[in-house]
Amino acid sequence: MSNQVISEKNNITKKDFRKTFWRSFTLLNSFNYERMEALGYMFSIMPELKKIYKDDPEGLKQAYHRHMEAFNMTIAPAPFVMGISVAMEEQAKEDPNMDRSSINAVKVALMGPLSGIGDTFFWGIFRIIACSIGVSFAKQGNILAPLIMLILFNIPTFLTRWYGLKIGYAQGSKILSDLQESGKMQLFTYCAGIVGVMAIGCMIASQINITSPLHFAIAGQKVVIQTYLNQIMPKLLPLLTTLGIFWAIKKQIKVTKIISSIVVIGFILGVFGIIGG
Amino acid sequence: MHVTLIQAILIAGVVALSNLDGNFFGEMKFREPIVTGFLVGLILGDVKLGLLIGAQLQIIWMGATGIGPTAQLDIGAGGTIGTAVAILTGKGAEVAITFGLPVAVIMQFLNTFLMTSYSVLMHRVDKLIDDLKEKQMIFIHIICGMITASMYAVLTFIVIYFGNNAIESVVKGLPDWANNGLNAVAVILPALGFALLLNILMEKTLIPFFIAGFAITAFSGLNTIAVTLLGVAAALFVYLLGTNKIAGISSTHAGGEEDEEL
Repeated sequence: MSNQVISEKNNITKKDFRKTFWRSFTLLNSFNYERMEALGYMFSIMPELKKIYKDDPEGLKQAYHRHMEAFNMTIAPAPFVMGISVAMEEQAKEDPNMDRSSINAVKVALMGPLSGIGDTFFWGIFRIIACSIGVSFAKQGNILAPLIMLILFNIPTFLTRWYGLKIGYAQGSKILSDLQESGKMQLFTYCAGIVGVMAIGCMIASQINITSPLHFAIAGQKVVIQTYLNQIMPKLLPLLTTLGIFWAIKKQIKVTKIISSIVVIGFILGVFGIIGG
Repeated sequence: MHVTLIQAILIAGVVALSNLDGNFFGEMKFREPIVTGFLVGLILGDVKLGLLIGAQLQIIWMGATGIGPTAQLDIGAGGTIGTAVAILTGKGAEVAITFGLPVAVIMQFLNTFLMTSYSVLMHRVDKLIDDLKEKQMIFIHIICGMITASMYAVLTFIVIYFGNNAIESVVKGLPDWANNGLNAVAVILPALGFALLLNILMEKTLIPFFIAGFAITAFSGLNTIAVTLLGVAAALFVYLLGTNKIAGISSTHAGGEEDEEL
């Protein structure tokens, strides 16, 4: 097997990228509500991080902590983001003045759009095509049906992962070094933040489904609270809940405490029919 | 048709595989009913029937795209168990759905519980990082998915071997109030992830954009791609402004650093 060198300065090779490629499949393995795919992400780029920070254990620890921050994305395009992260980590190692928060800012900014595109392509288009062809074979009792379905679905996803990783790294490092040279990194980070927070705002409105089933009967009329909430603002409850939790995090309340509070308070609110899905 | 011990264990294995598909194997799609139907058919000695029921379930589930680990319904477990029951009882896909459903619901509750408890392990990882214990970090990453898959397998084995009645009576026996409580917890938990993301990114100067992103989707229902494009437009505009590329508008502060102090 060829093992060409991808990055001269840190001796990152094709073999490392191959490791990341395979590791990226396990992205969801330790999915949890707090950090989501973070541990899987860190596990995926670990081979490169280890090489970049070979003689800098403190830097390596910081890099690990950085990639343990919450991350969530449709998995097929995720290696693209990993490629960019590796490029940025190399930059960070070289330039001690680089704003390291930009590494996570870029990750978060890409989360929303790539998940959106990924869901459409892989869950929408590729899955539907692969499954409908599979179904037509299965109906004839053809035992190759599952195989055909799996191959049809996995060819585009495998290609996306491998080339995503390579392109993310190559383009990512080129764009980033240009930015660094022209001194626009900080502005760039801020701009990535704009895309990121807009996407988070959008996802709060589209992906959290907290509603209130609460209703009263006043003078024989049924009064449904959610109707009034919607008149104030649609998706008010998802927004308030997220901001409430955000506030608690800012107050340095431990996340494990926040989770147990959500379980207890949520359960009580559910039992009394105040909150539902 | 009676199920043997070995068959029940193998079917539990298929459910474990379908669960690992979403975790360890990165959605290679072993969980689709065509695949699980085929495997269940193979185990129970009727490949053609397995494929046929699998195909029927596939069509039903095609539209209902459960996306990601927070999917509403477990295609893998529901489809596998449903197909097994359908073959064992000699009935059609309808039976597969009625029997698969309560199990899928229980599994979903179980999954929510596990995904909550894995959060605790992440703090353990934070500590391991400071000692650079990579092997243990990796172990935690791998074990989480394995625990989930084993739980799924055990539950499936109970259902297949001892009959669906056991599970069904638990689901039906669960009083409405408890059900409502569990549902409420499940709808609130995703908000935590978004709050943590905000915590990474949010700065005072970004608040206007957060409000815009939320309001656009809340009021118009535009999807993430649309909002992201608007976000890119806004970001480009700010970038051009920051680099003084727009003729006629001169920013009082040149360069980007001052933007954050506005």
